[in-house]
Amino acid sequence: MTGLLDGKVAIVTGAGQGVGEGIARALAQAGATVVIAARRAENGEPAAEAIRARSQKASFVCCDVTSESDVAAAIDHAVSQHGRLDIVVHNAVSPPGPPAPIQDVDPAIIEAQIATSTGAAFLLAREAYPYLAANHGSFLLLTSPAGIEGSGNLPVYATVKAAQRGLLKSLAREWGPDGIRVNALAPVAWTPALLTATEANPTLLTRLEARTSLGHIGDPETDIGPVAVFLASDMARHMTGQTLAVDGGRYLGL
Amino acid sequence: MARRALIVGSGIGDRIADGLDGWEIERAPGGSGPLELVVWANYPASSTQPAPLVDLSLEDWRERCDSPLRDAIDLARDTHGRLAAGSGTIVFLVPLMASAGGDHFAALAALGEGARILAKSLAKTWGGDGITAHAVTLDPHAFLDPADAARIATANALHDAPLGRVPSDTLDVAPIIDWLSTEPAAPWTGGSLIVDGGLWMPG
Repeated sequence: MTGLLDGKVAIVTGAGQGVGEGIARALAQAGATVVIAARRAENGEPAAEAIRARSQKASFVCCDVTSESDVAAAIDHAVSQHGRLDIVVHNAVSPPGPPAPIQDVDPAIIEAQIATSTGAAFLLAREAYPYLAANHGSFLLLTSPAGIEGSGNLPVYATVKAAQRGLLKSLAREWGPDGIRVNALAPVAWTPALLTATEANPTLLTRLEARTSLGHIGDPETDIGPVAVFLASDMARHMTGQTLAVDGGRYLGL
Repeated sequence: MARRALIVGSGIGDRIADGLDGWEIERAPGGSGPLELVVWANYPASSTQPAPLVDLSLEDWRERCDSPLRDAIDLARDTHGRLAAGSGTIVFLVPLMASAGGDHFAALAALGEGARILAKSLAKTWGGDGITAHAVTLDPHAFLDPADAARIATANALHDAPLGRVPSDTLDVAPIIDWLSTEPAAPWTGGSLIVDGGLWMPG
C-alpha cells in the first residue's frame, strides 16, 4: 500500500497507543503525513517519533477530544504545520470500566464515554469539515462490533459506539454532495486494555479466539491499519456510510 | 387489575399512550411498584428540527444527542428494579434515520441508533431478571414535520411504502408495543422491529 496516500495529511485521535497508533503507522506507511492527536505527550510524542524513525512523516499534538478548543487547535495544527487535511480518524475512547450491567455502571464512566465518543466525533466533524470538503476527504470513525450487536458486559460502550454509527450514516448523506466520504471500522484488536484484561483473566483470550473465525486477535498496524488505509484512499472512493467489521470473522451478522 | 406502564417522551409518546387500552400509565419517571412496560421516546424538540451539522454548537449537540442519550441510559438504570418486579418489557422507539441515515438530522440519528443498540445490550443482561427489551423503528413521520419526513422518506427509500400509508402511531404501533409485553412474546428479546409500512427493507 506504499504510496497510496502520498501527499495526504491525516489526523488520528487516540493515536498514542493501541488501535489508533496502529492505524497512524499504517497511514504513514502508505505515504500520508500523520498528526498523532493524543491526550498524553508521554504516549503521543514517542508514537510520532517512531513513525519519523522509519523515515515517514508525523507530528504530535496534545488533544483532549472532549475539549472544543483542543479539537480546534488540533485541526489547526494539521493545516498550519502540514498545509492541508484530507483524512480524519476518530479512534479515541474513554475507558469503559469493568464489565457490569447498566444499573451498576459508574455515572462518571457514562458521562465520559458519551463525551468521548459522540461529543468528540461531532467536534472533529464540525472543525474538519471545510478542509475535508476542499479536498474531497475521508472521515473515519472507530466503532465496535458491540455498537452493532449490543453488549451485555459493556452496555454503555455499545450504546455510544452505536450512536457513532447513526452519526456516520447521516453525515454520509449530508456530506456526499461535498465529496466527503464517511465510514467506520469495527475492529477487534490488541490494545493495552485488552492485554491487561487477558493477563488478568487468561481464559478470556481462549474464549475470544474461539469465537473468531480466523482464530486470532487482530494486530492494530498490520490487520486493522490496512483497512483504514483502504477506506481513506481513492480505492474506496465510491464507499460511504459503511461500517466494516475487521474482527477476524467474529461478528457475521451484517 | 390494570397493567402498569411508564411512557417517557411527548409527541410520539403521547400517541402511543393513547393507543394502550386498559393500561395504567405513568408519564414521568420516579414512581414505585412493578412495571410491565416502559417505553422511551424522549426526543427533544430541537433534535427533530433539521440543521446542518456544521451549524450546531457543542451545546446544541449536547441538547440534541448527548443529554437525551444519557437520559435513556438513566431511565434503564432507574427502572431496572421495577421492571424486574413486573417481569416487564422495555421498548425504545427509534426514527428510521437512525439506521438509514438522514441528512441534517445527524444528532437525532446518533441518539436513535444509540437507543436501538442499548435495547440489545439490556436484552443480553436482563433476560435472567425476566425482563425483555426491544427497539421499534418508526417511519420519519412519527418524529418530524410532515415536509421533513417526506423529504427523508424520499431520500432514503428505494420504493414507495407497499402498504400505501404511514402507520398510525396510536392505531398501528401501540398495539404492537402492547403485544411485545404479553406472554406470547415472552421468549423474544433483543428485537429490532421496523414498523414503517414497508417503506425501508434493509437486508
